[in-house]
Amino acid sequence: MSAPGKIYSAPLLVNWSLNYSCNFSCEHCYSRFEKAEELPTERVLEAGRRLAKAGVLFANFGGGEPLLRKDLLPVSKELTALGLSLSMNSNGWLLDEAAATGLRDAGFVSVGLSLDSHRPEVHDRFRNRPGSFDRVVAAAGHLVRAGVKLTISTVVCRINHQDLKPLLTLAKRLGAAQVYLHNFKCSGKGMEHRFELDLEPLEWRDFYREALGYADNPEWPEISFDDPILASLGARDEEHGIPGSTCGKLSLHVRPNGDITPCGFIPLVLGNLLRDDLPTLWRESSVLESMRHKTAKGKCTACGHYASCLGGCTARAFAVSGDLNAPDPHCWENPCG
Amino acid sequence: MELTDCYRRRPGLPWREEPDAVRDEMAALEAGRDAGGEGTLLVVERGRITELNILGGEIWKLCDGSRSLGAIVDELLPRFDVGRDELARDVQEFLADLLARGWVVAA
Repeated sequence: MSAPGKIYSAPLLVNWSLNYSCNFSCEHCYSRFEKAEELPTERVLEAGRRLAKAGVLFANFGGGEPLLRKDLLPVSKELTALGLSLSMNSNGWLLDEAAATGLRDAGFVSVGLSLDSHRPEVHDRFRNRPGSFDRVVAAAGHLVRAGVKLTISTVVCRINHQDLKPLLTLAKRLGAAQVYLHNFKCSGKGMEHRFELDLEPLEWRDFYREALGYADNPEWPEISFDDPILASLGARDEEHGIPGSTCGKLSLHVRPNGDITPCGFIPLVLGNLLRDDLPTLWRESSVLESMRHKTAKGKCTACGHYASCLGGCTARAFAVSGDLNAPDPHCWENPCG
Repeated sequence: MELTDCYRRRPGLPWREEPDAVRDEMAALEAGRDAGGEGTLLVVERGRITELNILGGEIWKLCDGSRSLGAIVDELLPRFDVGRDELARDVQEFLADLLARGWVVAA
């Protein structure tokens, strides 16, 4: 059984889906089929107070499209005042000049925009929204001019895995401080389109090898890719000292109705933020316990990287096998093991 | 760095205490056992987590811009089994490190 690394008294980060409603219908969307009632403003604030009281430092709004919530700015202002460090992800469609200054004034530390290709037609097709490329480029300009730290989020998949350099070039031109390279997840519509969009394990290896060549290079925006299978390339992030997935060890996910899951891609509800005590759930949840003490299975049993990788992304393994301990389907090590 | 200097934590830098670790370390101190081996306060910058030990955490909390280094030493002296000169050196070295990291600014 694996050691979890250090588990702190509460999550440091909460990925918070304030709403699942969205003005887009992207090919890979993990949450398109999710249904959950949205909390009214006062309940969102109560949820935020509970997060702050538990010691959570960071909240990242996703969804859904957060800008569809009419109360996003006033809510964010109050959550910032509670001490939460806020960021969010948006498709950029609604992010005009007024929204950008509103986000700045509400205290957002950074705002991430989804950008999946440097080619407008590819981005628009993937996002199922003609004109979305132009809108996201315009949104980037609004954020930068407003003085908000811009990050770019790219879901790495079949449409873009060989276009990393032009994508980074575009991100740099837009003024992005950071590019998050999210590995494709087989959840929601992502599962539906898995065989068209996901890469083969060796393609993931080649992609990561190329991407690592751009990391820690001041010529390029900072690159982040939190993927445990990078351990087999000797490149796992060192800063948090947590082996394997960080979900359930440093972070949790909150659904629009306050339900808590280990991450946005694992549909196992641990409890509800408004009903249950977060530190108690964090300490005592049997699901989190399982994720923190994984057991090597299949090809992982003989793999020399297991101690740092812990079977890779638990969400991907669970999505394709229903087993938290199964090997990550993206893993390229020991293909016949 | 002089004992008359005054610093405050950089605004917006996320940090928090680890209550269980604080309790354990304080209990160790009160019982006359060694303390300082466990991180009691976390500072997170650019995704990197840094753990401060019990002395570092207590200095950190007092760096609110209202006290000089000397006043911090005076406040901590009764709580740690150490001489004033040694504690003053520790506080100065620690603050110099925080200043180099950009985690505190002159108040």
